[in-house]
Amino acid sequence: MMTPLKWLYRWIDERVQLDGLVEYIGKKHVPVHRHSVWYYFGGVSLFLFIIQVVTGILLLLYYKGGEELAFESIHFIMSKVQFGWLIRSIHSWAANLFILAAMIHMFSVFFGKAYRKPREVTWLSGMMMFFLALGFGFSGYLLPWNELAFFATKVGTDIAGIVPLVGKPLMIFLRGGEDVTGATLSRFFGFHVAVLPGIFTVFLGIHVLLVQRQGMSEPLTFEEKSERKSMPFFPNFILRDLALWLLVLNLLAILAFFFPWELGKKADPLASAPAGIRPEWYFLYMFQTLKYIPGRLWVFDGEVLDILLFGVAGLLWTLVPFWDRRSSRGEQNRFVNYIGLFVVMYIILFTILGWLA
Amino acid sequence: MTLIIRFVLSGVVAASLVNGTMFAEDNCLACHEASGDKPSALFRNDVHFKKGITCAGCHGGDATQEEMEQAMSKAAGFIGVPKGDRISEVCAQCHSNAAIMLKRYGSILPRNQAELLSTSVHGKLSTTGKTSIAQCTTCHGAHGIVRKVNPASPVYPLNLPKTCAKCHSDATYMHAYDPALPIDQLEKYRTSVHGRRNALGDHKTAECASCHGSHGILSVKDVKSRVYPTNIPSTCATCHSDAQYMRGYGVPSDQLQKFSKSIHGVALLQKKDLGAPACNSCHGNHGATPPGVESISKVCGTCHALNADLFSKSPHKLAFDQKKLPECETCHGYHEIVVGTDKLLGVTPDAVCSWCHGGNPNSKAYLVAKTMRQLIDSLGNSERAATLLVEEAEQKGMEIGEAKFKLRDVHQATLESRTMVHSFNETQFQQVIDKGFKAASVVSDEARLAVEEYYFRRRGLGVATLIITVLAVSLYLFVRRIEREQAKEK
Repeated sequence: MMTPLKWLYRWIDERVQLDGLVEYIGKKHVPVHRHSVWYYFGGVSLFLFIIQVVTGILLLLYYKGGEELAFESIHFIMSKVQFGWLIRSIHSWAANLFILAAMIHMFSVFFGKAYRKPREVTWLSGMMMFFLALGFGFSGYLLPWNELAFFATKVGTDIAGIVPLVGKPLMIFLRGGEDVTGATLSRFFGFHVAVLPGIFTVFLGIHVLLVQRQGMSEPLTFEEKSERKSMPFFPNFILRDLALWLLVLNLLAILAFFFPWELGKKADPLASAPAGIRPEWYFLYMFQTLKYIPGRLWVFDGEVLDILLFGVAGLLWTLVPFWDRRSSRGEQNRFVNYIGLFVVMYIILFTILGWLA
Repeated sequence: MTLIIRFVLSGVVAASLVNGTMFAEDNCLACHEASGDKPSALFRNDVHFKKGITCAGCHGGDATQEEMEQAMSKAAGFIGVPKGDRISEVCAQCHSNAAIMLKRYGSILPRNQAELLSTSVHGKLSTTGKTSIAQCTTCHGAHGIVRKVNPASPVYPLNLPKTCAKCHSDATYMHAYDPALPIDQLEKYRTSVHGRRNALGDHKTAECASCHGSHGILSVKDVKSRVYPTNIPSTCATCHSDAQYMRGYGVPSDQLQKFSKSIHGVALLQKKDLGAPACNSCHGNHGATPPGVESISKVCGTCHALNADLFSKSPHKLAFDQKKLPECETCHGYHEIVVGTDKLLGVTPDAVCSWCHGGNPNSKAYLVAKTMRQLIDSLGNSERAATLLVEEAEQKGMEIGEAKFKLRDVHQATLESRTMVHSFNETQFQQVIDKGFKAASVVSDEARLAVEEYYFRRRGLGVATLIITVLAVSLYLFVRRIEREQAKEK
């Protein structure tokens, strides 16, 4: 007697030949070593992204874009909609944890040199997703149309306007005009729920497909060992991943309950900026650097120099698989490790300074 | 241009002092008097003439010369009749000069009069756009200037109101400068206690300069003005808090002391609330007069209109009138009006109702006062309870904005009930109190629901966390079991 589940499997298999895929997954193994724990952060990032999609869709049922309605609709979600407070708080917390998990994932890949040949495209697609995640954060921050978000967006788009040559048109494109207005809110809403998710999904598809096709990267030191340990991807790794996802879900629920995301005061474009305006924590180190760079440095404008420096640094970081030739040849490259350490310490230090400022 | 004129004028005065024309025989006066010239006749009584200053002191020239051409020659510094701002500048040459005033004439007159005048409201440009509104001579006259204490002086306290009124009661003239400024100050002043006594010859009572100052008069809108709302109490207190000065008038001198402690005084003097009353708000300014028994409620009612209206319709109105009790003052006091608390109401010893109605516990008034106090206390308790619940919900991170907003309705009802007390009508009072109870009940219900929701969420979190944790641990144990089986298979 065939169980309903087996019947369903056979029904699909007869049509799309699932057997090959199942066999492939059955053979897939994940390396086990003392740095294996970092593998889980890719999965955690994916889980948090899924949470964002689900909670984002639920919020969409009640959110109303527009200068006059955005703040009120979020207030309505928080006070009147059943579990609205939970969904909105989880969406806000998961957004921050998503970027944190993605950052940890990115640095673990960097220090493990997992970007080396043949995984250059996986790294590039991951970096693209990371930049898109920052875009998600920046655009989503404005959507409640509260005072802090309004002025942070004003400052953020002002900084974008400093970029040489393309700055001014870029700023006008982002704002939908000269100033941050309802037009900015409308287009940020569009970016947040349509443009960015669309592009993100493409890169996510490429990224996951490549990870499945190429398997998990092994550290250089691991390759030298004669006895290699591994575990089956399915069910061992998948189930461990699932257990961790559940713990992250727990963490999200606790954060959402004990630290509900505040709504603040409605934005008033005519009011003066309140004290303590600062961007989200993941932009803080760049914002803080800007404060330390003098207005004029030799022939360069301080702000332009700051943007150019971070732009070049970001580009070099993204292109690491192409200039770190030694790692690609399977050789140790301590220089890259030092760069990575410097970047991590710089981000941590300047983020703390930004918080204390 | 002004500098050049000053330079020339200082040359005139200095030259006069050097060649002695200021104190020498005044041939100008001799000739002009002989020709029946009116200014020279007045100059005989002028304080300057008595101090030995000749015509040349102000007009320049050489008063010792007998020949007119020589006496009035430009070479001798003759400037003729000063016009416009040059008048005050000629006066200031001596009056702003300590060396001349103190050393030569032994005068202790302040030397900043010209400076004060130039910065005062009268120092602004006149409608001609060329000169200031007022010169020294506008108030002091020109050739017959006498000391301020001389009853003939236009600035003698008894004459000053009329002197100021020359311009300030001239509708056409004043309209050119400030159409909004009244022109009936003198008329009102004459109706006031100050004005009446002044007219009777009491030079100690306040006249224009007592409150507005003299040379440095500023607009009432200027915060430095002596009659700016927050400065009025101290201006009035200059005389009214001086017990010695006020002796003989039968007026206490502790008004400022009491007022400063009152709710009005604290609002005006400490919180700088310009809406709060100063002395003139109740007593009037130019027509300053103490409110009588009849008019007190009208004076207070200017701001406290509802209270005054309710009181005038209440049974107390007739009773107070018959007993000649001042309406508001009887219960609230006057200069030292403190914050009106609910303790004023009721039949307890510190309640003002008990002063008249405390004797008979069976009287209707006693029972009404008692009931009203109980009701207002209950509303206060309901408001406090609702506030505490809202605070609790807020502390728990619940969104309670709407209930918090509605809390204002409860407070509004409390304020309304305090006003409604003045009707002394239990039914009307009860209606307002009921409105407050209803609002407090709505707020409390909403806040209680929010607090309950918080506990529901906490329980939900506990259950969800437990289920998820159990699931995660089970998954982990399941993986371990699989791994053990996989190891055995190998």
